Amino acid sequence: MSVTYMLKLEEEPETYEKFFTALTNSANKKVQNWILDRINPGMEVLEVGCGPGVLSCKISQKKAKILAYDKNLNMIMHAMKSLDPVFKDYIKFQMGSAIDLPEDLGKFDCIITTFMLSELRPLEQQIFLRYAWEHLKPDGRLIIADEFVPHGIARMWFSLKRLWYKRKLKRIRTGFTHPLKFILRYLEPIGFEIKAKDCWAHGSIRVFECQKKVDAQVGFYRPLPHPFRSIKARARAVRCLLTGQIDHIAIEPGIYQSGSPTRQSPIIVTTNYEYTYFKVMNDLKGIDAWVLCVDSNGINVWCSARGGNFGNTQLIEAVRATGIQHLVDHRLLILPQLAAGGISIPQLPQTFPFKIRFGPIWSKYLKSYLKTMPARKPEEMRVAKFNFEKRLEAGVTHATFLLRKFVLIPAILLTLAFGILFILNLFSLQPIYLQLLETVGWIFLSILITNMVIAMIFPLVDFTRSFVKKGFYLSAVSSLVSMVLFWVFFPSIMLSIANLIYSFWIGYFSTMSFSGYTMASSPREIKGEYPKFTKINKILIIVMLISIISIICIEIFTQV
Amino acid sequence: MVVTALKKEETNKNTVNHPSSPPKIIYFDSEKCTGCGLCRELCPFGLPTPNEEGKYHVLNLEACVECSACQRNCPVNAIRMTEQKGCGCLWDVRRQAANNKSGCC
Repeated sequence: MSVTYMLKLEEEPETYEKFFTALTNSANKKVQNWILDRINPGMEVLEVGCGPGVLSCKISQKKAKILAYDKNLNMIMHAMKSLDPVFKDYIKFQMGSAIDLPEDLGKFDCIITTFMLSELRPLEQQIFLRYAWEHLKPDGRLIIADEFVPHGIARMWFSLKRLWYKRKLKRIRTGFTHPLKFILRYLEPIGFEIKAKDCWAHGSIRVFECQKKVDAQVGFYRPLPHPFRSIKARARAVRCLLTGQIDHIAIEPGIYQSGSPTRQSPIIVTTNYEYTYFKVMNDLKGIDAWVLCVDSNGINVWCSARGGNFGNTQLIEAVRATGIQHLVDHRLLILPQLAAGGISIPQLPQTFPFKIRFGPIWSKYLKSYLKTMPARKPEEMRVAKFNFEKRLEAGVTHATFLLRKFVLIPAILLTLAFGILFILNLFSLQPIYLQLLETVGWIFLSILITNMVIAMIFPLVDFTRSFVKKGFYLSAVSSLVSMVLFWVFFPSIMLSIANLIYSFWIGYFSTMSFSGYTMASSPREIKGEYPKFTKINKILIIVMLISIISIICIEIFTQV
Repeated sequence: MVVTALKKEETNKNTVNHPSSPPKIIYFDSEKCTGCGLCRELCPFGLPTPNEEGKYHVLNLEACVECSACQRNCPVNAIRMTEQKGCGCLWDVRRQAANNKSGCC
């Protein structure tokens, strides 16, 4: 089963329950029975994320008073239609989101949430758990049922199924749910202890019954310190550099410490992308500060702010879930300057406890910024320059991105296929096999060379803003470089010409794709240029294929 | 009076017509602008510059990527522009062209 497909099912309330039971192999029925065993008549129950209200109705039939919340209005409408009129007085439906439940709901004997927490992000889960703690009676229970990563061999089957459903969801562009991983870590610090638990389907669906700790206050969850100086951390940073933003490598959002901060230490806000965290923490070396990692889905500051993953919502959520205002005496957050594309200070609510200042543009200036806190930052602290070092990094990232996206899997498959042929052919080194290996190697190398050349000479074409034009100039240079190098390895005129045409197309495509790596490319212009680009790209591909095939044919005929 | 106001508006309101995209417009209301300079601090390219009266405006509009950092944080709401989501990445635009939904990274 993969609960991740639930998001698609939620669009149609009528069929939701039927399909969801099929999706979970009836495990959800077992979950419902498990929960019903713990409900006594006369209890006051709150269900968050009731869906079509099947569980709520069953609870009301046990003569317990239930208040059911869901954020989906269609679901509630459907639930009210299928309501049993005999028990109508016991049940009440409300529309609302799990993290914005009203504070004055009163106290409950039992709070239930089934298959809802996996739709929330980590910080939202913490907000909900704290809300549940505050709204439970002293002997009240919290019952959580959700999807977890199973144990043992079932994990492989589980991840395969999840991949299959994820691909399906990607096509229709619905979000994903995430199997709960860390919820057990949250329960303890927030102030719950587990009384009973059960699991089905090899542990992929689990139920927990939690009780408030005796004589405890509601607490906050703090993630463990995340290393940033060890060799392993450096290796992870290199991995981020090589994969770029295809992989959203996220760390746990929350409060981290640089040095040993006190109540007067500044608060630096950043995103939870592994590489961003690595950079910020290393640049803060020797400074005592709180570092608040906002949950931006593991995307860097600029891209998450521009793409809606780092805005007021995420900032407010991070402050609410971590309770960072209790750790310091001052009321000032220092945000990265590039987050200004998503954060809006005038639109923050009146109740937001902090004042905001936008710090330097790159984290390497944090140290000098914190010393003086200038109202007017010097130019190098606020203007983004695409300097040589950054261009080299971007070049490597972009080259590996293109390789992974287009070449890696075909290359591995081809090499494997020919490897098998090579073994079957009585272990003799076939010249065609060697040639193939050479070609694959050259394709890898040429993409890398082209991208590095483009990254290095990129400022030379600053006279035009059009990437379609930049593509022609840059690919002319990079294809010449590529042809010279090709000539060194394979001194053949015809093949060199074929390589020239091929690397011209690679260079042209790479320049256009490089647009996302320079901050100065405008989305409006790229959008406007896109139709023109696809046309030119198609023409170049056709020209390339025709010329390469004809050149290879000529070569073969002349050899014969 | 009116003429000078209109003239002021003319100097502050720049448009750039890119051949293949709709015009880019960013308008700084010099009546509202207090000259605090926050927009200059936030712009990643340092585009807003003060004129002789200490009011801010953008001269090099070509370089603006419409990230709306200045507009959303202006304390007196003096800036008018249409925000463009995304970071100008080819793959983002491609995705938008394919299924008309924006998804940056």
